[in-house]
Amino acid sequence: MKSLLLKDLYNISYNAKAMLLIMVIMTAAVVPTAGAIPEMAGFTILCAMMEVTTFNFDETSGWTAYALVLPLRRNDIVRAKFAVLAIFCTVGVLLGLALSGAAAFLMGGRLPEENGPLVLLAAVPVLWAIAFAMGSTSIPLAFRFGAENARVLIVVAFVVPMVIFVGLAGALSMAGVTLSNGQAIALFCASPLAALAWGAVMYRLSCGIFAKTEW
Amino acid sequence: MDALLQVKDLTKTYPGFTLDHVSFTVPKGSIMGLIGENGAGKSTTIKGILGLIRPEAGAVTFWGQDLAGAPELKEDIGVVFDGLSFYETLTPARVGSILGAAYRRWDDALYKEYMQRFSLPMDKEIKGLSKGMKAKLGIAAALAHRPRFLILDEATSGLDPVMRDDMLDVFLEFVQDEEHGILMSSHITTDLEKVADYITFIHEGRVLFTRPKDELRYQWGIVRCGAAAFGRMDPAGMLAWRKEAYQYDVLVPDKEAARRQYKDAVVDDATIDDILLLYVKGERSK
Repeated sequence: MKSLLLKDLYNISYNAKAMLLIMVIMTAAVVPTAGAIPEMAGFTILCAMMEVTTFNFDETSGWTAYALVLPLRRNDIVRAKFAVLAIFCTVGVLLGLALSGAAAFLMGGRLPEENGPLVLLAAVPVLWAIAFAMGSTSIPLAFRFGAENARVLIVVAFVVPMVIFVGLAGALSMAGVTLSNGQAIALFCASPLAALAWGAVMYRLSCGIFAKTEW
Repeated sequence: MDALLQVKDLTKTYPGFTLDHVSFTVPKGSIMGLIGENGAGKSTTIKGILGLIRPEAGAVTFWGQDLAGAPELKEDIGVVFDGLSFYETLTPARVGSILGAAYRRWDDALYKEYMQRFSLPMDKEIKGLSKGMKAKLGIAAALAHRPRFLILDEATSGLDPVMRDDMLDVFLEFVQDEEHGILMSSHITTDLEKVADYITFIHEGRVLFTRPKDELRYQWGIVRCGAAAFGRMDPAGMLAWRKEAYQYDVLVPDKEAARRQYKDAVVDDATIDDILLLYVKGERSK
């Protein structure tokens, strides 16, 4: 699987400079007006969307058929896509954190209180979880419909986990369940686990799709 | 005959095309040429062999084992598709890193040796390489994990005659080891005439024949005669024939016998191109 990770990371590294530039511009534009959290969320989701770009590279070069003649199993190819997604999400959220920290420093610490260091740190696992859940949903779509269609369907990839999340919150609210601060923090901390569980479902789905794919 | 690759009754149906019970065997120490017109089923056959499609029937075994049941066999198989399967911003050095992480037996020194031999730069992006250089990179990548069997799907199609000749030398070196073998699909039949030991001819999804190349080159021939002489020919001795502007061209399995039998006709040697054309564009005995 290391070869598959290397391939995606090498391919995407070509865009790294442009991505970094976009992030710096976004930081300068977003942090002073909307705060650090939207900026971090934007970065993380942007990096998660790069997952679909790796599919695009694969399709353009005819890589996937070639990967199947390497000593790899089909499930290895699917697993590598999820591993790369996890790397992208981690890089995105940490870069977002670093850049918003740098922006706060440059602004002389004039960020609003709701963007304090602890809040930003607490946002890291939640934003990672959202981006990972969204990216996970895009993977079976890309395997099934191709990268270009998946880009369009990525809206679905975003809406599906959000609808489930909002639906769940609504159901809890209707049942009269209110969350204490401690419970909210516990939920924040559990969000990566929920995203991983969602990823596991999407992984199984992707394996099923990929097993039937022909070239 | 020890078989490196055995394909038996490989069948796959698509709308408008059927790969129909394709069977052939590649013996150890040999090069099998796969020929046929565009759309005949050569690439589909190779995809079926490599498990890239799911055949409806048939079996494919490498060294007597099914690839799906023993994926570790892929360590022993090198594949070159028509066109390089790496994204264009990668460099040959990075291709080496990627494949080095995939194959247990990857030999980086051998890879670099091939890169030098083929005059390929290690640090130039693939998009800056010519089609021929990309083809050579694909071949170097396929050889550097020391496979025992090579599958080449139009691997030499982007190369000029000089480069092709160099590559054919590499393939001949490869099969010097009697445990090695090559399945080589190519439109450039002159390449196959130079290196192949056997030829399998696929037409409209079916194998028309598998024959030793020397039999085709040294025994088969083309009788060129007028309509009257054609009318007197024994249909049982005709493999295929075609009416040209002023004559009939008739493919026969024994040119010496034809020379003795049809003294008033011209009997030429048959190239693989001639055979392919007569089978595809001509008529055949039932």
